[in-house]
Amino acid sequence: MDLLTQSLEQETAAPTSLPTTTTTTTNNNKEVNFSIFTDLNESLHELEDTDLDALMADLVADLNATEEKLAAEIQGLKVPSPPPTGSNVSTPASSSASSPLPPPPPQSTKPTKEEIEAQMKADKIKLALEKLKEAKVKKLVVKVLLNDGSSKTLMVDERQNVREVLDNLFEKTHCDCNVDWSLCETNPELQLERAFEDHENLVEPLLAWTRDSENKILFKERGEKYEVFKNPQTFYLWKKDNKALKAIKDKDKEILIKENFCGTSAIVPDLEAVLHLKEDGKKSWRQRLFQLRASGIYYVPKGKTKSSRDLVCFLQFDNVNVYYGKDFKGKYKAPTDFCFLLKHPQIQKDSQYIKYLCCDDACTMNLWVTGIRIAKYGASLYENFKTAEKRAAVSSVWTNLPPPPPPPPPLPSTSTFPPSPPEPVFAPPPPPLAAKSSPKPAFPQQHPPPNFPLPPPPAMDFPPPPPLPPIADHSEAPPDFLPPPPPSFGSLSPLPPLPGKSLPPPPPPCFRRMDQSLPPPPPDPGFLPPPPPQPMFTGAGAPPPPPPPPPPPPPAPTAAPSAAVRPSGSVRKMPPPPPKRTTPTLPAGGGGGGGGEGGGGDFMSELMKAMQKKRSVP
Amino acid sequence: MCVSPALFSFPGVCLLHSVRPVSFAPRSLSLSSSRSPRMAGWDLSVTVEDLGPDAPPVTLSVTSDLHVGGVILRLVEKTQIKRDWSDHAIWWEQKQRWLLRTSWTLEKYGIHADARLLYMPQHKPLKLGLPNGITLRLHACFSSPVFQTLMGICRMLNIRHPEELSLLRPLEEKKKKKDKDSAEEIYDLTEVPRSSGTLITLHSLSRPDMHTYEEWLSRPCLYNGMPAHFADSPKMEAIYKMLSVTQPPPAPEVVAKQYRPASVVDKAHINGRWLDSSRCLIQQGIRENDRLWLRFKYFAFYDIEPKYDVVRLTQLYEQARWSILLEDIDCTEEEMMLFGALQYHISKVSQSEPKLLSSSAAMDDLESALQSLEVKMDGESSSASEMLHVTICFRPKKLTLKGYKQYWFKFQDTSISYYKSKEESIGEPIQQINLRGCEVAPDVNMAAQKFLIRLLIPAPEGMNEVYLRCENEQQYAQWMAACRLASKGKSLADSSFQSEIKSIHSFLAMQRTNPSSHGNTPANDESINTHSLVSPRYHKKYKTKQLTPRILDAYQNVAQLSLTDALTRFLQIWQALPDFGLSYITFLTNRFKGSRKDEVLGIAPNRLIRIDLGVGDVVKTWRYNNMKQWNVNWDIRQMAIEFEGNVNIAFSCVTADCKIVHEFIGGYIFMSTRSREKSDTLNEELFHKLTGGHEAL
Repeated sequence: MDLLTQSLEQETAAPTSLPTTTTTTTNNNKEVNFSIFTDLNESLHELEDTDLDALMADLVADLNATEEKLAAEIQGLKVPSPPPTGSNVSTPASSSASSPLPPPPPQSTKPTKEEIEAQMKADKIKLALEKLKEAKVKKLVVKVLLNDGSSKTLMVDERQNVREVLDNLFEKTHCDCNVDWSLCETNPELQLERAFEDHENLVEPLLAWTRDSENKILFKERGEKYEVFKNPQTFYLWKKDNKALKAIKDKDKEILIKENFCGTSAIVPDLEAVLHLKEDGKKSWRQRLFQLRASGIYYVPKGKTKSSRDLVCFLQFDNVNVYYGKDFKGKYKAPTDFCFLLKHPQIQKDSQYIKYLCCDDACTMNLWVTGIRIAKYGASLYENFKTAEKRAAVSSVWTNLPPPPPPPPPLPSTSTFPPSPPEPVFAPPPPPLAAKSSPKPAFPQQHPPPNFPLPPPPAMDFPPPPPLPPIADHSEAPPDFLPPPPPSFGSLSPLPPLPGKSLPPPPPPCFRRMDQSLPPPPPDPGFLPPPPPQPMFTGAGAPPPPPPPPPPPPPAPTAAPSAAVRPSGSVRKMPPPPPKRTTPTLPAGGGGGGGGEGGGGDFMSELMKAMQKKRSVP
Repeated sequence: MCVSPALFSFPGVCLLHSVRPVSFAPRSLSLSSSRSPRMAGWDLSVTVEDLGPDAPPVTLSVTSDLHVGGVILRLVEKTQIKRDWSDHAIWWEQKQRWLLRTSWTLEKYGIHADARLLYMPQHKPLKLGLPNGITLRLHACFSSPVFQTLMGICRMLNIRHPEELSLLRPLEEKKKKKDKDSAEEIYDLTEVPRSSGTLITLHSLSRPDMHTYEEWLSRPCLYNGMPAHFADSPKMEAIYKMLSVTQPPPAPEVVAKQYRPASVVDKAHINGRWLDSSRCLIQQGIRENDRLWLRFKYFAFYDIEPKYDVVRLTQLYEQARWSILLEDIDCTEEEMMLFGALQYHISKVSQSEPKLLSSSAAMDDLESALQSLEVKMDGESSSASEMLHVTICFRPKKLTLKGYKQYWFKFQDTSISYYKSKEESIGEPIQQINLRGCEVAPDVNMAAQKFLIRLLIPAPEGMNEVYLRCENEQQYAQWMAACRLASKGKSLADSSFQSEIKSIHSFLAMQRTNPSSHGNTPANDESINTHSLVSPRYHKKYKTKQLTPRILDAYQNVAQLSLTDALTRFLQIWQALPDFGLSYITFLTNRFKGSRKDEVLGIAPNRLIRIDLGVGDVVKTWRYNNMKQWNVNWDIRQMAIEFEGNVNIAFSCVTADCKIVHEFIGGYIFMSTRSREKSDTLNEELFHKLTGGHEAL
């Protein structure tokens, strides 16, 4: 059976077990474990295994591919250098033949040698640059709670903004994609909730969570998210009476939006209200007359006028976010339950640095929270809204199409895409293809032909077992870096952060890991399995020397067979490969290709260790 | 929005269409037919200005059917002066009008033997005070409506969108300043040939195809980055530089001396000084060499494009800066500090960056990407890895009194680690602190040689307060810069590290300067008196020593901005002030006739507000888009505005003529009609329609 048929089989099987590629991780955890998709609430070991398997496979494949590619380039053959797609680029020749992949760059016309060389040089440099970037990308596995109590788990990488994650979730949940859908973080300890803004990066705020955090991420509709664009008059004409506001015409709303958001800078509604402030560190609440300005929140000191010069700055927005408080009446004896608070995103526990404010009614609270958001984010809110609106319109068109072409996720133009998660939704059609090609680890993903939108989920097919042996050897050699992420994180497990260099301060989680199982080997970048990136870059200034050959290339063949075996054998493989796999590939690529400062290597060796360990246990 | 500028019917519109939009000849339409031709000759005396003030009028024998062109021809022949008379025209003094239609007969104009006519150039020199405080001398057109005169001036100065500006009668200066005025430097632009300036305006006006002029306005072609007439000589280049480069911060005394409006009512007075856009300068009593101010009048700035708008942006910034310094617009202390920081940054950058460079080329080019990579790698390998090992003192909490302990500190990327001693720095640090997202505040006393860096480091439990005490200025500057960068997530390898150190040094230097040296020290680039960056209120409130750290504090957020970005940022913050864009007028309402209490009307780009003078609060807001129409009763000088929902207001203006209020409202409505979809051409006709009133005819 050739790979194609295998993959086809896979495909047919997959739907039966899983209606969509989405991992509903509730019960069928065991079967469904794909790689990085993990429900953290389930056994973390499970997570680790699958994760590692997948990642490993990727790495192997990537290394392999890189090596081949390099070899080809070095020979100066007309072997088309893979399109400068970045780290995913490794496509062993054999695989490309069988797989319906994007055609190799049309170089067959034998350009002059100089041209080829120049082209190659350029490609290599681009590749190196991208790998350098890749190497440092942080990724998280995130569990998102849905309204119905179920959850979705997905991988988020540093560069993804909330909009992209929302798009992924839209595809996974088949919701109506309206503009109100938001990702919210909750902190049960502080009893607060905040909807992320669409342009924010998701990973950064999540990294601020503590290890034992009970924080959650919710995916839900929040009407207030873009209320200001639906009814700008309630914010900008709040002084007028309700009747007048209700009578306002659509045209006037447009004018309001245009006036306030389309100028050189967004205009902040001028709010003024008596709010209750919880005094620093005290239990009492005290009333003050507050004013909102673009530059911050001010209050009017007792006995002074309201003129600007007399205002006292209460707080500026540079370093704080605004959160809704839940049930503060009970917790802090607030006068009402309509509270909001401002704090540095890193603060996770009650502290005097958190500012608690309490409003008389819900309306005032929304006014203020929205006003603060406008002051803080300005016109990007409006940009977000327009994007969300577009997305909602598009989705309504597509909802009924059975095999919707994967909407190109808003990827950074750089070829690297971390965020392949969205694709899984569309998985049904593409998976087969991907599976087919899966033996070949990586595809140039930059401009996938419409038919093959899915990022190759090869990792899926590469079960860790086969690749392991070869890898194990290498892993021994480079005994550096951190052990795999311990299974014990809250709802999100930070993937091994790839520090730029052998940086001293691994984030706290890392330490954890160290304690945990693997003895932290002395970080020795030199030992990295991936080709030391350095030479490449130094060369880059002048003529770039050929990329260093990947050190421990796990033979592709090994990988491929293994992949083949796996799918046919166990149910496990059945699930259509989650595209996430690609994400892991990237870091691997970074390691293999140029690894920047060894970050990639870090990651790799860590993985290997983990796998080894795992192996040894059974 | 259905706004009709109602007013009185408007026969003059067709005139505007026709040949020359000279707006003051309406009555002649009716007059011309009323009289029977008198062919008998009579004497017409015309004063020719060029003959000198004392020369007797030239007397011509004319008949009533002689056209004005003929009069001029005879006049020129009689004076026997050979020169270019093309710019000259006849001004009828009693009727306060120009006789610009040369084909009209004397009869049609209604001129009789008793008419006092003056033959003089239409363009005369004028002293023009720019928003940046500098005075220019240039030729302005005295015969066309101020709006067109302004278009000519703006064209000469390379300012796009002249409709946003207007001319303002200056405040009366106190007599004692007279002598000082004479010493004032005046940049002379009178040499500029009119063809490159105002005259072209007239030409293009005389033909309805405004295209060339407007095209120029939207895409002026530049030589060496400036309009051709500025590239002529070094002197002209200097003038252009003055126009396009921001002025150094004024000495605090200069600011303190200037008139500052103390109340809303004071602010309302200034708006009574705007010239009428639809009448010409001479009709408004402006004479040769008089002084006028050029200012942005309508606070709706359209399509600012730094590439073409160098002068516009600079002058707008200057106007904004002065409005802040003179407390014309209120702001809070925090905002003032940020404005101060931006001014400091702008003056620093504009000195080092003589011309506005377009923003750096896109990085997608492989070469540049490579270069930046190289730089980065270099940086990382050298400075980042073994940056700054120093012994400095450290104390984790402020409470402990003698808490400072010496440690060996190491700065790496965005973290600091500390060790017991240098020897132990190979091993594990005692602690490592990541500074990303932390707040960095200086605590420096030069006199006491105290160099403290206060760090507020966010942690899940709250903020950790840490103090670093540096030994000397040099070390402090380095560590401060490093902390600042790290708090923004940048490593020491970042290219801004060195410049950050430099700016910290220069701020330290400012602090070192003796605060008593209040003298008129010229603002050298390194030693700017921070008092010159804030309004006089803060001169009293803070000493330089106290002010400097606060400005420095705000400065760290803007230090990386390019000149254009900094200017834009300044304007953005300015525009975000709650009172931005409000022009005040005091008025009397008719509704409470008995009370006769003055109230203040604020005219903003999108609304009118009524302010209670007692509290200073906004009592009522009317938005233009709810406005159905407004009317002016020119006889009793009263404005009546009708809003949707049967809201009517009527008032008469106290501090300004109702024409000014009318022009403000009409002007803002005109500004809101500008849009990219429509062509970029300035719809002058519409402007006059909206702002002109009956006088436009």
